[in-house]
Amino acid sequence: MDQDKDREQVSISQTLALTIVPERCSGCRTCEIVCAIHNNKVNNPKKARIRVLSLYPHPVIKMPIVCKQCKDPKCMESCPTDAIYIENGIVKINNSECMGCHACVVSCPFGAIYVHADLDEPIKCELCGGDPQCVKACPKNAIIYVPEHTLGQANRLIDTLKYAHLKEMEYFEHGVKKKLSYAQIETGGLRKDKTKAEQKEGDAGEQ
Amino acid sequence: MLVSSDSISIAGSVRIKGGYLGKILHIDLMAGNSYVEKYDEDFALKYIGGRGFGAKIVMDNLKDGVKPLDPENIIVIAPGILSGLYVPSSGKTAFVSISPLTGIYADSNMGGMFGVEIRQAGYDALVIHGRAKEFSYIWIDDDVVEIRDASKYKGMKSTETERELKDDLCDEAIKIATIGIAGENLVKFACVNSEWSRNAGRTGMGAIFGSKNIKAIAVRGTKDLPVYDMDKLVELSDKAYKSLHDHPMMKIWQEEGLMSVLDYANTLGIIPTHNFSDAHFEDADKINGEVMTSRHKIGDSACYSCPMACGNICLVKSGKYAGTVTEGPEYESAAMLGSNVGINDFSAVLRGNYLCDELGIDTITSGSMVATLIEGYERGLLTLEDVDGIALSWGDDSSIMLLLEKIANRDGIGDVLAEGPYGVIKKFPQLAPIISHVKGMDQSAYDGRVGVTMALAYATSDIGAHHTRAWTIAKELEVGADWTLEEKIDLVIYHQTVRPLFDMLGVCRLPWIELGFDENTYADFYAAATGVEFTLDDLLERSKTLYDLTRAINLRLGVTRADDYPPERTFNDPIKTGPHAGEHMDRDFYEHMLDVYYERRGWDKEGRPSEEQLRECEVL
Repeated sequence: MDQDKDREQVSISQTLALTIVPERCSGCRTCEIVCAIHNNKVNNPKKARIRVLSLYPHPVIKMPIVCKQCKDPKCMESCPTDAIYIENGIVKINNSECMGCHACVVSCPFGAIYVHADLDEPIKCELCGGDPQCVKACPKNAIIYVPEHTLGQANRLIDTLKYAHLKEMEYFEHGVKKKLSYAQIETGGLRKDKTKAEQKEGDAGEQ
Repeated sequence: MLVSSDSISIAGSVRIKGGYLGKILHIDLMAGNSYVEKYDEDFALKYIGGRGFGAKIVMDNLKDGVKPLDPENIIVIAPGILSGLYVPSSGKTAFVSISPLTGIYADSNMGGMFGVEIRQAGYDALVIHGRAKEFSYIWIDDDVVEIRDASKYKGMKSTETERELKDDLCDEAIKIATIGIAGENLVKFACVNSEWSRNAGRTGMGAIFGSKNIKAIAVRGTKDLPVYDMDKLVELSDKAYKSLHDHPMMKIWQEEGLMSVLDYANTLGIIPTHNFSDAHFEDADKINGEVMTSRHKIGDSACYSCPMACGNICLVKSGKYAGTVTEGPEYESAAMLGSNVGINDFSAVLRGNYLCDELGIDTITSGSMVATLIEGYERGLLTLEDVDGIALSWGDDSSIMLLLEKIANRDGIGDVLAEGPYGVIKKFPQLAPIISHVKGMDQSAYDGRVGVTMALAYATSDIGAHHTRAWTIAKELEVGADWTLEEKIDLVIYHQTVRPLFDMLGVCRLPWIELGFDENTYADFYAAATGVEFTLDDLLERSKTLYDLTRAINLRLGVTRADDYPPERTFNDPIKTGPHAGEHMDRDFYEHMLDVYYERRGWDKEGRPSEEQLRECEVL
């Protein structure tokens, strides 16, 4: 029984990934405060493992930045004392080995490891033991925890939609050849302005 | 989990076990130094925090003969006691001073995260004294406070200043409050801008910054905020977030924010139109929330720990204002820079909002000032020469944008408008009947002729005609039509009592007023944070005392009963169109209502608090 349970836990942590949809983020930083309270037991967003970086006005973006639990982590590679290790797919820091040189902090390509003056060790997301609090707290659903193999699905969908919307279909009406693209179709009928444009095209064809 | 008592630094505190940091940072610009004042428990429990601290400090500093823009006037920047804690929408900060616009007590409220950063730097409030010799900015890095040269930033727009300061101080995460050129030019309704688009908009706090030769305050705070009972706070907040999240209106708030009010206000017939001459705008569907979300919105924006995310970041994609990016507008700005000046093009509304933010002027007062000028010119009260040769007309966006820039630069007619209602009336007395203001501050975007409570709310507000003191119009129109006058007046007083509490605690009122969040929960939050078991009634008693205190400040600064009247238009000028066409207020009725209001507040016929009340707020 117990063995089964262990196996289940291992499989969850290996296949679920924390990922971000920055377009949804409002920059409210609820994730930060929930993270700090859960992991450090203090009300201090400056000790959170996830932070929102807001840029404005060119470009406008709010980006929650958190560890991606890389398979071959740069932080692990850069650690001079081998204090960073991977356990069940989660990149962890062994605090007793850590000498506090912050090599991992600067080597992370995403800047997802943080530092606070009160703490000797770097601050890094360890997925709250498989139940990330930020995911539950985010009011805009901008932080999601999904099976790894679904990563990239949003882009796949967008790209497919882009292709499909531009795809043209040919048809004949009263003997006149016409074209229609999916982009011109709205739920329940054709878009008014597009229909007019098409009408003009049709007229031109008759002349 | 309870915090250890050594993290609480209030000397001799018996009841307070968390929440308060115990320190107020005083910055003396004249001497170029700063010092920390440690306050005691009595002060904390009497004035709670935020606006309460601000009003008390301003009162104690009050000296006869000091004008608002004199160096002797101080400005208090006070986040509340819940600011920065794990509590929904806890990102509010009060800016408290004596207003250059009205000459009386003033506070203005800013969202965003500036106040949270001040708290994390270890202070419950900042007090700025004096005037810097050179043009400066203040840099607060936890315990280190510096007054630094800001000549490089002179003349910069708000967002530009913030961008440059973040680069120069090498930290993207610091929080900055800055003024635009309007503040430098002492425009009397200049605002303080933070995080690009969060403003302490009203009452001219930007001009106070300008008068102190201060361009900006940059803060970095990294400290823990003490919480007495963290488990309790987490339990309460988890529940609060869930109840807000499950509210049926939540989705609309996240999508449209306050812009969803515009259609509502137009349908009800309370939207300011053509300088408040009307209360129904025909083209409202061209500047409403739907236009914003479908054509302009490119992102959401929220204050600290707020699930509502009522801010909207908008972009103008085409036309002459293409490329304009701004956060907003929310309802007030859209109505004051839209229907009130006759603009029916949302791109132009966005441009107006952008200019106001960047130049650093209040959108509400600006919208009202510009509209007054247009109406004055259209009705022949002003000549073409008076208005710098600009042929003004309703909805002419080019000339309106030009006027906004003229105000900020104090150029020509802009120099007159920059003085606010009193200044305009002094120069053009013929405009007095058409300027909608109370105590020198322009009315916000809800018509005071519809219903009776809104007019009373504007007239008796302690800072001038501002809607956040008591926004009673919706309740009166929706459920209060058959109420007795006493019930209606009590509603105004209740709002004027609950709402200061939000500013004292540093939280936003929107979850309460819009999503039906129970105000009793705030007493629970307060108890969890501080360990002081106050009920809501205990807290409301203190905010009532605060209202008496601000009244006492105003009386000392010369306010009398004669100042507690709604704008002239409310009496003399019936609404032209819409569901409330023909409505206006009867003067005798208003006199009676004001009498009853004073009586129910326990004030005398001249609006003076009783001796007992004054003793309670330590004025006597």
